[in-house]
Amino acid sequence: MLASQSTSAQVLVRQHPAEEIGFPDLEFEPPTVEEHEVEGVTVLLLEDHTLPLATIYVRLNGGYGLFSRDVYAAVSALPSLIRFGGTESLAPDSVDKILEYYAIQTSFGSGGDVITATANALVQHFPTTIDLLGTLLTEPAFDSNEVEVWRGRQIESVLRRADDPVRLAYSEFNHLLYGDHSIGWEMNAADLEPGDLSREQLLEVHSRIVCRDNLILGLAGDVNWSEVEHLVEGLVDRIKPCSVSLPESPIPTIRDEPGIYLIEKNVEQSVIVMAHATNLNLSDNPAYFSATIGNSILGGGGFSSRILSRIRTQEGFAYSAASLWTIPRRYPGLLGAVTSTRPENAVPAIKAILETMQGLVDSPPQPSEVTTAVDAVLNGFVFNFETSGQILSRMMFYLSADLPRDWLERYLAGVQSVSANSVHHAFSEHMQPEDMMVLIVGDTERMGQELLATLGPVTIMREKDFH
Amino acid sequence: MTAFRNISVILIALLTSSLQALEAQQTPGELLPVRQVTLDNGMRLVILRRPGAPTISFTVQFNVGGVNERLGTTGIAHLLEHMLFKGTTSVGTRNIEAELELYPWMDSTHDSLVAARARGDSVGALELSERIAQLEDSAAVFIESNEFDHVLTRAGARGLNATTTSESTVYFVDLPSNRAELWFALEADRMLNPVFREFYAERDVVAEERRMRVEVNPAGALAEAHLASAFRMHPYGVPVVGYMADLQVMSRQDVERYYRLYYGPNNAIVGIVGDLDPDQIEAWARKYFAAIPNAEIPPVVTAVEPSQRGERRTELEWDAQPQLQIGWHVPAGTDPDAPSLAILSSLLTGGRTSRLYRSLVLESRAATAVFSSLGPGMRYPQLLQISATPRAPHTTMQLEELIYEELELLIQEGPTDSEIERVRNQISAGSVRRIQSNIGLAFQLVESVALFNDWRETFRYSDKLRAVTADDVMRIARTYLTRSNRTVTTLIKTDDSK
Repeated sequence: MLASQSTSAQVLVRQHPAEEIGFPDLEFEPPTVEEHEVEGVTVLLLEDHTLPLATIYVRLNGGYGLFSRDVYAAVSALPSLIRFGGTESLAPDSVDKILEYYAIQTSFGSGGDVITATANALVQHFPTTIDLLGTLLTEPAFDSNEVEVWRGRQIESVLRRADDPVRLAYSEFNHLLYGDHSIGWEMNAADLEPGDLSREQLLEVHSRIVCRDNLILGLAGDVNWSEVEHLVEGLVDRIKPCSVSLPESPIPTIRDEPGIYLIEKNVEQSVIVMAHATNLNLSDNPAYFSATIGNSILGGGGFSSRILSRIRTQEGFAYSAASLWTIPRRYPGLLGAVTSTRPENAVPAIKAILETMQGLVDSPPQPSEVTTAVDAVLNGFVFNFETSGQILSRMMFYLSADLPRDWLERYLAGVQSVSANSVHHAFSEHMQPEDMMVLIVGDTERMGQELLATLGPVTIMREKDFH
Repeated sequence: MTAFRNISVILIALLTSSLQALEAQQTPGELLPVRQVTLDNGMRLVILRRPGAPTISFTVQFNVGGVNERLGTTGIAHLLEHMLFKGTTSVGTRNIEAELELYPWMDSTHDSLVAARARGDSVGALELSERIAQLEDSAAVFIESNEFDHVLTRAGARGLNATTTSESTVYFVDLPSNRAELWFALEADRMLNPVFREFYAERDVVAEERRMRVEVNPAGALAEAHLASAFRMHPYGVPVVGYMADLQVMSRQDVERYYRLYYGPNNAIVGIVGDLDPDQIEAWARKYFAAIPNAEIPPVVTAVEPSQRGERRTELEWDAQPQLQIGWHVPAGTDPDAPSLAILSSLLTGGRTSRLYRSLVLESRAATAVFSSLGPGMRYPQLLQISATPRAPHTTMQLEELIYEELELLIQEGPTDSEIERVRNQISAGSVRRIQSNIGLAFQLVESVALFNDWRETFRYSDKLRAVTADDVMRIARTYLTRSNRTVTTLIKTDDSK
């Protein structure tokens, strides 16, 4: 049983009288996730009998980041074409009709190293749902018209990338930092030749990814194990063991050439994104917890954080401004910030963000800032258990990332040990504002060329340099 | 086991669905144990206990939005929404008396600034701008910035935010159940004692929001141009975020006056959904909100959009690839024709088997996406809108032709039984899915009370949708989807960037 605590530490925090209302402890028993194994596949089950609905979650380790660039399009297309490309026995529109008729909601997605699928239905249609999902996963037809629709949509998306300055900035910044590593990839016309999406290519990547050793399953809703066991067995039985294991994704080398990288675009708002590499990893150690609380204080905690308070509330420079500190499991992450502001304010906004960062390098945060950030985690802990989907997806990620099953509880304990000094130590060790690579999409003339040069060496990125 | 090996099996299944049984039942939503309460000052509350994690979603909807604005102060409802996070006489201040003394000086300096700009006195305007900045710096000494947010953050709040639409403004947050009373204390204080501090910096923030949503966003710019073209009289044609020229002259006093006019308890509806004790929630509502004094009934919107007499076409040049938007004037969301219009919209673009998706995206491959919607609000005659993204080298003109062909076919032949059945089944499942989220339910309940003064009406709407026939769809398509009633807006790439 978990019980919330009113404050994490005995720190003097300016309190509003409303906070002195006597709040009872929150007693709460998190729902139990059952863990089963079917032919070597881990299957998680969370019963939730509040509504007559049930959902199946499929997680397959294996995304484009585990393959070479020449199959980037094929792996990226795989989830979409499994869903929309028909099966050996059903044309694409027959699949659509069945899904729509039974009002089955599906979602298929992918990341750099994972493919996910979910299907949700009224509980009386759950056997049909699992069966159809099995057919989609194991008997894809990769209908040529659907392949062409997907390819055309991607080509159009490439054509429209520069229409949105935010998308352009993020895309080019990733490429700038990660180069030819898969994190820096962005689809382009050369990836989308018809041969890149041949049936043979698609079947090859399908066989490497949709196989039993890559699979984790989750079920949630108005069902119990005795009702679904045979359905799960039937599904697992249809997914063959993997013939070859997938490799781990390669460790990226993050570019380290501080300065201003400028993409000229005559727009009313400049987009700013800055970062440098850090070598902190997601693991059960104090530095990780100090970094997460530190990021909340720097700019990840909304109006309670320094960057938004300075850039938005005090200066009125931007609608949104935030820090980012990505802390991956296996390889280096990024520490930086993003915002958008009118061109005339771009340089002052960048300077204000760098000053705010430097402030946390120079001195520890106020103890009250740490208390606010930690209390937000402790008192809001119960929101980690709002929906069964949220609980199951999290557990499936822990299994996939080789994190302990009680990682959430360890996280809760870890953040309670964070202090102002440990946050200061994390920033002193990992944040160097002067080493930021800053990419700006904006109107150079209105931002001021001389002003930009005061921030560091300026590199103009031409459209031909875009990847 | 593998099913669906034979298409005939599917067809039999389609004809013998058990979903028919659902149609005759009361919708799941109507069975919810909702309590509706009206306080003496006119404030209405809907309270719903739902099992689950010990969290509660809180919403307060004020029936005011873009339609309650005039040219010159467009965007004021949205700017006010921002200002209500700035605190009160006790939240966000270290010395309220000293702070409040500065605002009359700030207000009168701003009046002088607007006058200086109007007479072209740029030197005087610059001096006055600097004077306002100095006064804001003086006030900052007494201000505890973002304290409203800090208090809720420490309590573990999630999703603290607000949204302003054409016709409503909703404030919302989720809290752990044991912190419910904190919300009542803060919200009542906000309704009674707001202080519009840090105003000019926040006005700049809203200007940045407009830049982000409209001025660098081709889809946002297209939507704004489209509504302005379709509505010449009715304020649906005015952007909720406001025009930049209006934002730059709006004063703190303008916002304060607007607040007094529209934020009375009789114009507020509260929705509270989650793991709660309804008796305790009602008791807190009476304790904290009953003290808010009665207010005048806010002015109503009287503008009526005249019938459109002829197709309107607008082009918007932008450094971006083309997009298309078409809208037809249709009745308000409360009109008896509204369910048929919703079904028509679903038949056209709801899912991959819908008519326009099949025609434009799958068969001709002329578009990468096509959507339809009813809006921008529900309370006044609105638009049925179709937006489509052409796939090069196809043009928006080609998309228009394909869309009109499909519409003509629908008008002449009507939808098939299976199309109608598909949409009805989606409605049945949707009526269950839509009650999964606390915050979603809270929004739904307050909007139902706002429109019909009855929380159940939102769920009865599913029955009205299921009652729509093929003839209804043909009739409304024939009535409203005419050439003279439509507005076409196209985003075209600027010549110099082709």
